[in-house]
Amino acid sequence: MGLIQCKDVCKSFGEKIALDHVSVDIPKGKIFGLLGPNGAGKTTLIRIINRITIPNKGEVLFDGRPITQDDVEKIGYLPEERGLYRKMKVGEQAMYFAQLKGMSSREAAKELKKWFVRFGIESWWNKKVEELSKGMAQKVQFITTVVHKPSLLILDEPFSGFDPVNAQIIREEILRLKEEGATIILSTHNMESVEELCDNIALINKSHVVITGGVDEIRHKYGNNNVELVYTGGELASVMNVFNVLSDQDDAGRHTAVLELLDGKGGNAALSAILAQGVTVNSFKELVPRMNDIFIKLVTEEE
Amino acid sequence: MKMRNIKTIIGREYLTRVKKKSFLLTTFIVPILFAALCILPSVIMFMAKDTGKKVAVVDQSGIVMPYLVDTDAVDYQDYSAEPADSMKANFEEFGLDVLVIVSPLDTAAKTVSVSSYSPKPLSMELKEGVQSKVNDAVEDYRLALYDITDLKQIMEDVKANISMSTYTMDESGEEKITSSEVYMIISMILSIIIYMFIAMFSGMVMQSVIEEKASRVVEVLVSSVKATELMFGKIIGVACVALTQFFLWIVLTLVLVGGFSAFVGFDSLMGDPAQTEQMMEMTAQMGGVDMAEMTAAMQEEEGLGAVLSTLKDINWVQMIFAFIIYFALGYLLYASLFAAIGSAVENEADTTQLQMPITLPLMLAFFIALYAFNAPDSQIVWWGSMIPFTSPIVMLARIPFGVPMWELALSIALLVMTFGACGWLSAKIYKIGILMFGKKTTFKDLWKWLRQN
Repeated sequence: MGLIQCKDVCKSFGEKIALDHVSVDIPKGKIFGLLGPNGAGKTTLIRIINRITIPNKGEVLFDGRPITQDDVEKIGYLPEERGLYRKMKVGEQAMYFAQLKGMSSREAAKELKKWFVRFGIESWWNKKVEELSKGMAQKVQFITTVVHKPSLLILDEPFSGFDPVNAQIIREEILRLKEEGATIILSTHNMESVEELCDNIALINKSHVVITGGVDEIRHKYGNNNVELVYTGGELASVMNVFNVLSDQDDAGRHTAVLELLDGKGGNAALSAILAQGVTVNSFKELVPRMNDIFIKLVTEEE
Repeated sequence: MKMRNIKTIIGREYLTRVKKKSFLLTTFIVPILFAALCILPSVIMFMAKDTGKKVAVVDQSGIVMPYLVDTDAVDYQDYSAEPADSMKANFEEFGLDVLVIVSPLDTAAKTVSVSSYSPKPLSMELKEGVQSKVNDAVEDYRLALYDITDLKQIMEDVKANISMSTYTMDESGEEKITSSEVYMIISMILSIIIYMFIAMFSGMVMQSVIEEKASRVVEVLVSSVKATELMFGKIIGVACVALTQFFLWIVLTLVLVGGFSAFVGFDSLMGDPAQTEQMMEMTAQMGGVDMAEMTAAMQEEEGLGAVLSTLKDINWVQMIFAFIIYFALGYLLYASLFAAIGSAVENEADTTQLQMPITLPLMLAFFIALYAFNAPDSQIVWWGSMIPFTSPIVMLARIPFGVPMWELALSIALLVMTFGACGWLSAKIYKIGILMFGKKTTFKDLWKWLRQN
């Protein structure tokens, strides 16, 4: 059973429907990718899970029971549009956010010190936020999101504003938090991170869920039986009922071809047909579609 | 709503403000200004006294000079023998401060004309002194022309000098001597202070809402606390700042004025030390704005009695409670409305149009209050003190003149209910507004938000 279950959630703002009978199940201890084009309704769904917005219909279960305001303390939320008080000192500010999440000031100070040491930013404690660069402020913001050890982390575009080095640090922290048992909702347009980090996803488009499930499962489902073949010694031709050559690149006798396997015949039949043509096979591998392609395909199909 | 969250929010709103340099600055500078306003009139009066002014008089009429008797301040010197023109030309050589030239007597009109020449403008005191003495001279000259024995004595005898004593009667039929000026001054000061505080600190709430929205802190905040907790926490936090500032102002003003009077011996100017002390407390509380008028009133013997009697007679307990209650409620009402407006915009420039319907009644209230100083019993003032959007300011202007208990109770009840309703509506707008970006908000949008749940 999932940590968060959204059941038949509907939300409209006046005439505009933001979520139309949305149901998603977010498994405990996993990273869940929330995908979708801009304006699809992701932020509204996140706000409903956060109890910032109340749905018109449907319910959200937290750990199997209807979510309450008290559960908000177990959630850490990094919104896409985020910010800190510019005139406030970093330390005071982090303490404030931690206390709003229900930590005592002693506990907050202890945990924050740990995080500041981990990120090597102890010296920022008494600096004002306006003295920090954007990336530095993002780091502080990340700490304020996770310091109260939330069992659910909602990260909306967590890597924006980070340079590659710091993005990698954040990526590692996310994986570490998952290891420690946190459930993480990751909303991002960066499909590489989705493939790398997410266990499950839901794709929302035009207010409803287009597809939801495990990342591998979805990728294989949308795989179209294509393989990539690298070979030398001749030129391959399509074989009726076995495979079609979709493309073939000749790089000084070394060919890289994409083959479409036909009629559900497995790789073995194709391989024997290839070998029968007298070429030398260097590599033969299944082409799993990128999340990026699936995203574009599903979203444009809906148009 | 969770108390713990609200407390945390109040704490931040309060501490970040009182730790600001601008807060410390205004907290210390305003009492200095207040104290200066209390002290300056007496200092000026003291300093402005002319001493040993040398005034040369060319009396061509021959009747004025005997009337110009030297005082501590002025030393009149008779230069009537000199021609006026050469005196004017050689004025500086004589080391004189002022030259007064009295024209030859105009026997037809039975009068003289007087002019003065001096490098520096004449003090009022000196001018009036000379004028009145010349007047006396001319009057006596005219009396003498009638050739009636003891005419001057007769004139003195018939002169009547009547001033009306104003009393208020309470239910027990006891009559009390009052001074309506004192009521006016206290009423004016109370309504100015309450207007200033409401406008200033509600504006501060709006600014702070806009700041949180523009810096995008707000979405993080509302993921931890409810929007209503955030809004009311902020409003209460700023209210605490206002009260802190108010009490610091009173204390510091008292200390400054007290210190000054101990240093200079204020009571030598004022007379009885006990009265002086009472006066000083008063002036401090009132901000001392109209000290000059007060001192003027006090210079007349019966005026002083009336002022003191009036001060003693004012229901201070009622007034202080009314001030606190009306400030609190008026501020809460306006601050919640301003918070709603702040939530609907992304920068301060956009607030002008939306805050019009709120600033208008506030300003209207102030104008009605100004009217109340002169006509506390008029219809418009009565209604102004009942209608919740104007009552905090107008009622405070009425209070020193005495307000029946039931009117106070009704006005406060209406104000509480209105705050309840406006607070609820503002919270609805605020909740939606703080998360709205991009489009410029119109009144139509606000109406739409109110109807959403």
